[in-house]
Amino acid sequence: MKPAPFAYHAPTALDEALALLAAEPEARLLAGGQSLVPRMRLRVEKPAVVIDLNRVEGLDGIAVDGGAVTVGALVRQQALVDDEAVFRAHPLIRLAGSHAGFHTTRHRGTVGGSIAFAAPWAELSATAITLGATITARSSAGERAIAAGDFFLGPHQTALAAGEMVTQVRFPAADAGTGFGFHEASPRWRDYATAAASASITVRDGAVADARLTLLRAAPAPLQVDAASILAGRAVDEAAIADVVAALDGIDPPDDVEASGRHRARLARTLTERALADAWANAKEAAA
Amino acid sequence: MSATENGLVTVRVTVNGRAYERAVEPRKALSDFIREDLGLTGTHVACEHGFCGVCNILLDGQTVRSCLMFAVQVDGHAIETVESLASPDGTLSPLQQAFNDHAGLQCGYCTPGMLMTAKEHLDRHPDGGTDEEIREAIAGVLCRCTGYQQIIESIRAAATTGKGA
Repeated sequence: MKPAPFAYHAPTALDEALALLAAEPEARLLAGGQSLVPRMRLRVEKPAVVIDLNRVEGLDGIAVDGGAVTVGALVRQQALVDDEAVFRAHPLIRLAGSHAGFHTTRHRGTVGGSIAFAAPWAELSATAITLGATITARSSAGERAIAAGDFFLGPHQTALAAGEMVTQVRFPAADAGTGFGFHEASPRWRDYATAAASASITVRDGAVADARLTLLRAAPAPLQVDAASILAGRAVDEAAIADVVAALDGIDPPDDVEASGRHRARLARTLTERALADAWANAKEAAA
Repeated sequence: MSATENGLVTVRVTVNGRAYERAVEPRKALSDFIREDLGLTGTHVACEHGFCGVCNILLDGQTVRSCLMFAVQVDGHAIETVESLASPDGTLSPLQQAFNDHAGLQCGYCTPGMLMTAKEHLDRHPDGGTDEEIREAIAGVLCRCTGYQQIIESIRAAATTGKGA
């Protein structure tokens, strides 16, 4: 189908975009359009006003400073995945980000768009949570920082208030001796994730000092598993991994047309095992 | 880009090296603009929801799904479509010839998107890269006829002729 008619604005300054959004809180922000435009074509969304952010200046920068990575909302996903300095600071971003759609959709799809759209399969959401990222939300009234762990509330539901937009995502520097793992299951290569697990482990003196585990599609929103309290002070051997997997006993992913909740729960366990094993191996290498 | 009185927006865009100026509705898809307003029907539309990749074109040198952009968004930009590949006298490009020689198409519906996506891949990997890289490159374009193997062989063949795309 073709999208319903809409009034189109293409501001070139962020303040102008935020003023338009304040005046039209029901307007939709068009970034990469790889999710919004299909929804407009299906007429699931019929916004009267579309504010195109693609000509807004100052939102497309990537800065890597002392291991911290700051990404403007309009940075294309492929640019983020390709960036060598980003890869050195946070290998997980490329590892997980290259599962997000295809080259062609990543050329348009933006980092801020993926975060704000909060699709339950979005690898960048899990990445932001696992790396302890901070999301900057801005409105015409001002700016606030939201921890990625508090941002995603459910499928397509976020902590953003009306009139706010994501302007930046900041990934803090990883601690020394940190390794990452990411595993995803999908029905076809590069298709939407049926389930995914993203893990980060920091090793100090041969044992786990910190661990983070984020699961996609194990719950309506990205699921944060308290792996640190299970793994702290231990080596990540089979028994340790089994203890984390046992902590997933209570998960109850919803059934849908693509997979049963039971299937997703089984995938969550297997992908957790793989992501933790990779993160441990990478962390030991990083600490060596 | 400038608005006209009747809700249309003027778009100035370079397509295959030629400058065009048209007035369009903001909701007009880039794919429809290319086909209907510019008359370049080489770009095919299939699913029109971003799943199939058949409408892939090059925008400023990078593949994009033309059904997921609005024509107003390409004002001031440069586009290449499948019409840019063959010579003006109709001689096929090495990539097109390889698709012909290696049965890289059957019904031909996905071929414009497949060719532009393969061109981007070969521009970046003149030696063709690994088979896995070729598979990754075309993963976002659906073909319902060939089973993909001949497409991979076609792209490999275009690379080994050393003439690129």
